[in-house]
Amino acid sequence: MRPFSYIVPRTLSEASIAAKKPGALLKAAGIDVVDRMKERKHDATELVSLLPLKDRLATIASDGLGVRIGALATLAQIADSKDLANAAFAALRESAGIAATPQVRNRATAAGNVLQLARCWYLRSSDLQCLHGRDGTSCLAMVGDNRYHSVLGYLDCVRVHPSNLAPALLALGCDYSTELAGKTTRRPLRDLFPTEPKAEADEHTLLPGEILTAFHVPPQPMGARSAYRESREKLSFDWATTAAAARVVIEGGVIKEASLVLGAVAPVPLDRPDAAKMLVGEKPSDELFVRAAQRAFVDARPLSHNGYKPQVGMAVVREVLHAVTR
Amino acid sequence: MNSRDRTPPEKELKVGFGSLIETRTFEVPAGDAPPWDATTKLSVVGSDADRADGRDKASGRAKYTHDIAFPGMLQAAILRAPIARGLLQNLDLEKARSMPGVAAVIALKEVGKRVRFVGDEIAAVAAPTLDLCRDALEAIVAEYAQEGHTVDFLFADGAPVLDEQGDITDPWPDAGEELTAAFAKAKTTVTGTYRTEVQTHASMESHGAVAKWTDADLDVYMSTQATFGVRGELSQAMRAAGLQCKSVTIHAEFVGGGFGSKFTAGAEGRAVALLAHAANAPVKLVLNRFEEHTCTGNRPAALMQFRAAVDEQGAIIAWDQRSWGGCGHNGQGGGIAIPDHLLAKAARRRERAHQDLATDADPARPMRAPAHPQGFFGAELCIDELAAAAGIDPLALRKQNDAQPLRLQQYELGAERFGWEQARAAAAEAKQDQHARYLRGVGCASARWGNLGNDGRGRGDGPGHGAVCRIHQDGSVEARSGAQDVGTGFKSVLTNLTAEELGIRAEQVRATAGHTTDPSGPAAGGSTTTASLAPVIRHAAFLCKQELAKKAAEHLGVAADSIVFAAGRLSAGDTSMSFGDACKLIGPNPIEMRGERFPNYKGKVFERGVCGAQFAEVEVDTWTGIVRVLRMLAIQDCGIVVAQKPAESQVLGAMIQGIGFALHEQRILDRQSGRMLNGDFLRYKVPGALDVPPMEVIMQSVANGHSNCSAAGLGEAPTCASAAAIANAVFHAIGHPVRRLPITPDKVLAALHQRGGK
Repeated sequence: MRPFSYIVPRTLSEASIAAKKPGALLKAAGIDVVDRMKERKHDATELVSLLPLKDRLATIASDGLGVRIGALATLAQIADSKDLANAAFAALRESAGIAATPQVRNRATAAGNVLQLARCWYLRSSDLQCLHGRDGTSCLAMVGDNRYHSVLGYLDCVRVHPSNLAPALLALGCDYSTELAGKTTRRPLRDLFPTEPKAEADEHTLLPGEILTAFHVPPQPMGARSAYRESREKLSFDWATTAAAARVVIEGGVIKEASLVLGAVAPVPLDRPDAAKMLVGEKPSDELFVRAAQRAFVDARPLSHNGYKPQVGMAVVREVLHAVTR
Repeated sequence: MNSRDRTPPEKELKVGFGSLIETRTFEVPAGDAPPWDATTKLSVVGSDADRADGRDKASGRAKYTHDIAFPGMLQAAILRAPIARGLLQNLDLEKARSMPGVAAVIALKEVGKRVRFVGDEIAAVAAPTLDLCRDALEAIVAEYAQEGHTVDFLFADGAPVLDEQGDITDPWPDAGEELTAAFAKAKTTVTGTYRTEVQTHASMESHGAVAKWTDADLDVYMSTQATFGVRGELSQAMRAAGLQCKSVTIHAEFVGGGFGSKFTAGAEGRAVALLAHAANAPVKLVLNRFEEHTCTGNRPAALMQFRAAVDEQGAIIAWDQRSWGGCGHNGQGGGIAIPDHLLAKAARRRERAHQDLATDADPARPMRAPAHPQGFFGAELCIDELAAAAGIDPLALRKQNDAQPLRLQQYELGAERFGWEQARAAAAEAKQDQHARYLRGVGCASARWGNLGNDGRGRGDGPGHGAVCRIHQDGSVEARSGAQDVGTGFKSVLTNLTAEELGIRAEQVRATAGHTTDPSGPAAGGSTTTASLAPVIRHAAFLCKQELAKKAAEHLGVAADSIVFAAGRLSAGDTSMSFGDACKLIGPNPIEMRGERFPNYKGKVFERGVCGAQFAEVEVDTWTGIVRVLRMLAIQDCGIVVAQKPAESQVLGAMIQGIGFALHEQRILDRQSGRMLNGDFLRYKVPGALDVPPMEVIMQSVANGHSNCSAAGLGEAPTCASAAAIANAVFHAIGHPVRRLPITPDKVLAALHQRGGK
């Protein structure tokens, strides 16, 4: 770890001002960033800790109709939250509850999980320079070992978005709030991710000094349900090879609304509206789910080492659709 | 008087196990403790006494090398080559040396020498903090003339050509008359190509040491498997470096695993001693996880082709094999070992058809049962394929062909305990449902290792291995050995044998291991430690017992040889005294005796090594290709079991490592850079708590008759079978073999596809 200043803000606006400086970095739990600083893979001149603001930013509360999840709420809080006990919110509880290990879940935050750096072993290697962040001239994973990389939605960088929570939040149609220079803004969650996930683009759209403060889960109608499933090689402490979150509203045995979001298969969490649309107006059936899963991966472009991923991803979609309509 | 001058009397011992007990005659050296056999009633040995240092380890009181600290101690780090192959053209250490606070900088590779792999040692620095060390490493100028490299052994010189399925396409070399004839008269023949990936040792404690000079005396606290080996290695290295080195003392009181990677001090061990000398201060050097994965050895990859045949009666009558090892830059250590005990009736190729292939990567080191898990995986799976093709139950095929009586009993016991027939039938029946998402499979495999220990004498000269027992006036008892406990439970071997001999409880004995100031023992490798040292430890306690008996005899007015030590008392007829009271007779100088390692007894031992059988049940998700192990069972012998809990723990550890080898673990090197891509515990996947299913271990105590306590080695044997049993269960589930480890979803989906499944 190289020397750096550790900033302990008293207010959000202090944090925002401190984080705006070049070389400054915001830290929530620090699960990943502290490791990367120790290994000198990331140097920050100023590290701005958000934990002093935990009292304000770590609560999960029903705000009348929907639920507000503070940015610093831990994954364990989300997994066990009474405010998210409804079947409509199951995807949030399931995705938070399966991440990493109990120790990490007790510490890691909602915002940290959604905003974490991609886990690509090339872009994270201190000795290798790749196109990500313009460190090098090409995407090394594109021609190298890409068994855990993208099959969908990639351009010049085949990293995958590693967040468990993001597909669930997106499937539920959440908004997010930020604070920048004393100004609060609320936007749909899809705006948090770049529409063109190129190598030089940041993995999120936050501006310097802009602090993610909360996710807003909208109110859910009667008959709304959600679910999250992922494939992983190990059950303990592993990353998803594919993931899917689904939300449906069922009335009289018929699917009235549906949304489907994929994780771990593209540089951003990937909304699949065409596949979801196939479900609307239909009765749940395995045959329907198989077709929807195929639709979700219809434009998959596997790389040299990850030809298995579309098939596994389709299985996870099929499974999540069974789970959400069960 | 030296033991070798005495004429060994012959003694009849009951050897064996279960229904296999028989009486055999052995030459038992005079002066040794009277040997135990199958009829001996033991109270501490084989009991469920807790691991001797379990509380220290669980509570954090145990101090590993990583925990050692001294006032004024410096940290150290190594500069490593970022390229896989090339020449070191320039090395400028001056800027690093002149940095304030940097205490020492040394070169580890000469300019003009070749870099052999990513991570090859170039230079080392010592400074008060690790960050200053890192700054100093960054200030070192190292320039390389890069050369082309190959890190995939299938592209190395001499590698065979594989087709799209990964099968070897070259025809078999001439098999000779006998083998050709055997294949010709076979009823069923199968052939297959099998492959395993590089597995790293992944010890919880990485390599590391603290070196501390006091004038010309060097103390090294090191995470090592070979205290006496590294003592010699370091004293030689210090002399070669031109340093005054009067003595080297190694301390390895607690070691967090080694699995074969810690037999040498290595470049890091030599560097820390030289840095401490140059800096004139204690220095600590501990490798990080990436260095541990990439620079401290591994189990090399293997490519194997087998063909096997049975006759009408189900005898395996022909076996052929050829193999290649995927090694590091030295092109060594890639051999395979297979379960020869299943092939006693088979014609075999006369000459060994094996070739080690060199790559520009970190060289192999021995790893727990070197050569075996990879060879057993391929061969045991081939045998299951043979059984399936011939329509024979795979366990029945093994029982018919296995040459070792002990294992035949283990198959029986295991099959009953595991519910082999019922589980196989249930899995087969469930498969009838074409729409079932999950398939189940049940498999088994055999284990083998051969080690009854050594006496530590090289060519008959000098004293052999020793151990010290001390009984103090206050009733405390010490058992000491200079050999290391790498986590296997050697300290329990010390406490249990000593307590058994003295008739006291295991908790009354304090064990000390790993300091070369105590008598020597072997390196902890090849399952030798317990087998070599148990008879010595017992002998030391036996000698102390005789001394204490003399003092007690005087006090009680009985003959010393009439005193029996049991249940914490010394008794002779009607009279007795407590062990504690007897110790009060000792006086200020403790009774201290050094045990002797007599050579293994002459005579026909019951079992030359150890056997073992393992069973696994798996579930295969046909949608995702993910395999989960549902349960495992191991039946394992290791002579007379000295310490039950650590022994079971050894077998459990082997099974967990086997799950990793079968399903998850593989070193992934980037072909372009030669760098390991998964050099951490996030992407190098060792099983976690949720990946370990219910596992049962049944230890069988077998009296072998080779020493006073019949202890045999245990570390390696259970490692042979686990991955093979899992692979066989996967084959049973899918109906098509996955011939390449690790069995990851992509390979399972391919196998399901080839089977013509959904």
